[in-house]
Amino acid sequence: MTMQSAPVAKASNGPKMGAFKDKDKPASVRSSNIVAAKSVADAVRTSLGPRGMDKMIQSANGEVTITNDGATILKQMSVIHPTAKMLVELSKAQDIEAGDGTTTVVVLAGSLLEAADNLLAKGIHPTTISESFQRAAHQAEEILEQMSSPIDLKDDNELIKLATTSLNSKVVSQYSWLLAPMAVKAVKKVIDLEHDDNVNLKMIKIVQKVGETVEESELIDGAIIEQKSMGRGGPTKVEKAKIGLIQFQISPPKTDMENQVVISDYAQMDRALKEERTYLLDLCKQIKKAGCNVLLIQKSILRDAINETALHFFAKMKIMVIKDIERDDIEFYSKILGCRPIASIDHFVPESLGYAELVEEIHTSSDERVIKVTGLQNPGLAVSILLRGTNKLVLEEAERSLHDALCVIRCLVKKRALLPGGGAPEMEVAVRLRNLAQTKQGAEQYCWKAFSDALELIPYTLAENAGLSPITTVTELRNAHANGKKDFGVNVRKGCVTDIREENVLQPLLVTSFAIKQAAECVRSILKIDDIVMAIR
Amino acid sequence: MASAGETLLALGGKRTTGQSIRTQNAMAAMAIANVVKSSLGPLGLDKMMVDDVGDVTVTNDGATILKLLEVEHPAGKVLVDLAQLQDEEVGDGTTSVAIIAAELLKAANELVQQKLHPTTVINGYRFACKEAVRFIQENLALSTDDLDRTSIIKAAKTTMSSKLISTDSDFFAEMCVEATNLIKVTDASGKATFPIKAINVLKAHGKSSRESMLIRGYALNCTRASEAMPRKIAGAKIACLDFSLQKSKMHLGISVVVEDPSKLEAIRREEMEITKRRIEKILKAGANVILTTGGIDDLCLKQFVEAGALAVRRAKKVDLKRIAKATGATLTSSLATLEGDDEQFDPSLLGQADEVVQERISDEELVLIKGPKARTAASIILRGANDVMLDEMERSLHDALCVVRRVLESKKLVVGGGAVEAALNVYLDNFATTLPSREQLAVAEFANALLVIPKTLASNAAKDSTQLVAKLRAFHYKSQTEKENSHLKWAGLDLENGNIRDNKEAGILEPMISKVKCLKFATEAAITILRIDDLIKLDKVEKQQHDDECM
Repeated sequence: MTMQSAPVAKASNGPKMGAFKDKDKPASVRSSNIVAAKSVADAVRTSLGPRGMDKMIQSANGEVTITNDGATILKQMSVIHPTAKMLVELSKAQDIEAGDGTTTVVVLAGSLLEAADNLLAKGIHPTTISESFQRAAHQAEEILEQMSSPIDLKDDNELIKLATTSLNSKVVSQYSWLLAPMAVKAVKKVIDLEHDDNVNLKMIKIVQKVGETVEESELIDGAIIEQKSMGRGGPTKVEKAKIGLIQFQISPPKTDMENQVVISDYAQMDRALKEERTYLLDLCKQIKKAGCNVLLIQKSILRDAINETALHFFAKMKIMVIKDIERDDIEFYSKILGCRPIASIDHFVPESLGYAELVEEIHTSSDERVIKVTGLQNPGLAVSILLRGTNKLVLEEAERSLHDALCVIRCLVKKRALLPGGGAPEMEVAVRLRNLAQTKQGAEQYCWKAFSDALELIPYTLAENAGLSPITTVTELRNAHANGKKDFGVNVRKGCVTDIREENVLQPLLVTSFAIKQAAECVRSILKIDDIVMAIR
Repeated sequence: MASAGETLLALGGKRTTGQSIRTQNAMAAMAIANVVKSSLGPLGLDKMMVDDVGDVTVTNDGATILKLLEVEHPAGKVLVDLAQLQDEEVGDGTTSVAIIAAELLKAANELVQQKLHPTTVINGYRFACKEAVRFIQENLALSTDDLDRTSIIKAAKTTMSSKLISTDSDFFAEMCVEATNLIKVTDASGKATFPIKAINVLKAHGKSSRESMLIRGYALNCTRASEAMPRKIAGAKIACLDFSLQKSKMHLGISVVVEDPSKLEAIRREEMEITKRRIEKILKAGANVILTTGGIDDLCLKQFVEAGALAVRRAKKVDLKRIAKATGATLTSSLATLEGDDEQFDPSLLGQADEVVQERISDEELVLIKGPKARTAASIILRGANDVMLDEMERSLHDALCVVRRVLESKKLVVGGGAVEAALNVYLDNFATTLPSREQLAVAEFANALLVIPKTLASNAAKDSTQLVAKLRAFHYKSQTEKENSHLKWAGLDLENGNIRDNKEAGILEPMISKVKCLKFATEAAITILRIDDLIKLDKVEKQQHDDECM
């Protein structure tokens, strides 16, 4: 519902647009909006589907992103038109809700807008179009639900198929045999199969390191800590580790107010130095006393998280020290390591420590290291993945792809139902809606028909991107669905229309139903705009 | 439509789509490959690069050339990164990887123009790469028993053959193998690793490159702190410190207030005393060589001189870490003890070496640590006529060391001189004909693209590349079709005489891992670029000038 209030705010706050006059006639405003939004949709269209291509985006500061992910493309593109921005937001919303299908949703919205444009030209009132679209979208959702089949989360094979489908359009598709099972396993580790209906993806930590190829990526049965150990003669490998996670600093304390220590006698000088040492030693000793031998320290801005002298002590005590743990990661680490974050030395007790068989520093390349923690005693609902790639661009794209795959599994946890892929659900909805349209009266009939036509753009684009003849493919597919073969879809690999379920191309119900619902809603809000007022700054 | 879309999108930048961007990317890659092409092979030539400050670099190393190029085009940057990665992972073959990737892109672009879908090309490339790697591992690798010291030296020589030091490659190859063997570390699981970073390579002006030497020990590019210290200490006990031995300063927030002028002297003395007490403790522990990363006050030097110890100040931390490892010392950052309030220096922190001596090499003095107790160490001192040459020598030596390490670790070699590429070309060409799908074309093009290596090698040597490569392919075809001729698979180019010869006999060897990684990386980079059909270049955001600032 936030979408509906967005256009007004967007229009008034939008940046300067020289192209727009202060006030314009409603019709031309509407058509300008539609054209702008459509061009955004066209921009991402070529990246849809397993044969979709990537986009390379060079940002203002020269950084390069190569991606196939609709949401990322749009985010990086920095469009200026306020309506175009709405589509960017739409894709972001899909990314948050479903995580996958971010390109689909934008393409759908563009297609629906085109349909709306035609209807407007026929003289149908925007409100009528908007309301009919809403009803059609609602109906589409019901059809999808009927079409879907339930899935058992215990069935790993089925889940892997789903993840593979999501990965197929990405640059890492040839590694889907590795990444898909990895995604499934990761999600399964962080949820309780029986009770959970959502997945906290924050509990799956993906650590990216350049080097090797994607094949070398692995799901760690334990935790990966990005930071390297502090060294200084401290151990780099600790067996039977007791891990402490602290949020205070091990360096000379500072008072809140300005303070000054005044020395007036030479004997005091020695004491001043000694005092600092004793203070640090006390801290270190308490930590040692609790039995801790691996210490994680939260990143600190105000003071040094740990100073040289303390490191020296820890090295002597054979305690491995890892500093600069991000604040956001504290929750993750405390969960996976089974330790409690400790905010004060007084609470540093053995009970809040985590236990692992082995904590080890491993080299990922000549000067990059990560800490690997294995053999956790009571691992929480969290898991780590170490991702490798030949260069930064591939690595980042691999991370996005893996994220999509994780989201797909998450969708299934949320709603345990799946659909065939390859444009089959869109076509099925289109065919059924077209039939239902006959039962409607007046302008609504037109609108429903236009809505169902618009949905066919998805199989059309899939075929187009794969180099097939789009018209032949779509008509063939439509024919198949009219004859009740509702699982038929575009088989990109074979270049024809087949039962897509047999090809193991599957997607979660949630992705498609969200996409249709959100696209329709976004279109409605764009249609309702009849004026743009640029606030003068 | 593209141009209409551009204006409507109201992007703050430029957008290029479809075929034009694919061509543009391929062109950019080719342009970059062309820069390094002429430096490939034993008869490749060097490049001289002058940067905006006027620094000159002369090099033959692909990664170094590309790093200094400052490439603007994003697709070109991918290629530069690629060479850098090969440098990090393998250390050698940086030029070939860039050339192969560019060639693959060029071939792919042509295929796409013939209306083959890019994804089909990509699939074909992946397939071909997998098959090629398998073929290398199964048919072209030399088994471990053939490996002895001479073949390792040969491998090192092959790498150096294209470099400045090729005339002295015998000498340097021997040195590299020796040095690498010296730093061998066997970890707990019995696996031997060779951290070549631990070989300290120093450069000194003067004399000829033949005068370079390998030192069984560690050469520290520092001098002793005072001339009064002994030049040579036998049976050295070494303390490695990571703090300054200077007059101690109080921390911020502590101020010294003196009311009585007579106390001033006492305070000053105390400042000195604190450090003096520390030095005493170190000397008492038996140390006679003191190395520190910090400074040493002149006042404190007296103490060392009196004790007959050798002290070195401002040594690099990396150096000290390595020395500590080699001699069994512990690099200490503080004298504080666990027992409580007093400071102490434990004798167990000391490392041992047979001899620590300061020697004069050219006009620089070096401190050499010979015969460290815990582990062997190696340092190489390079000599050369000028800085530019020394730098290039260092890079070449680094490449050679990497190769030696790879061979020692993986124990597998392949034959160089374009043999592997030609064999793969013949094999993949045949393999392509067995594929009934559209991928056939891509696999065949992949095979052809590999030929760029022998072709470039030949043309760099001013030989008839077409004739030579055709001959080479004929040899390999024979070896793969006729069983009795299978020994011909070692056939490679003889660039001096413009002939084909058995390169296994001739001792042109390369580590297998270098070739395999080269193929894998090049394919992956080509695919990354090939998948792009849209380039959006955003304009730089200009900073708005505020009117009030003018006031």
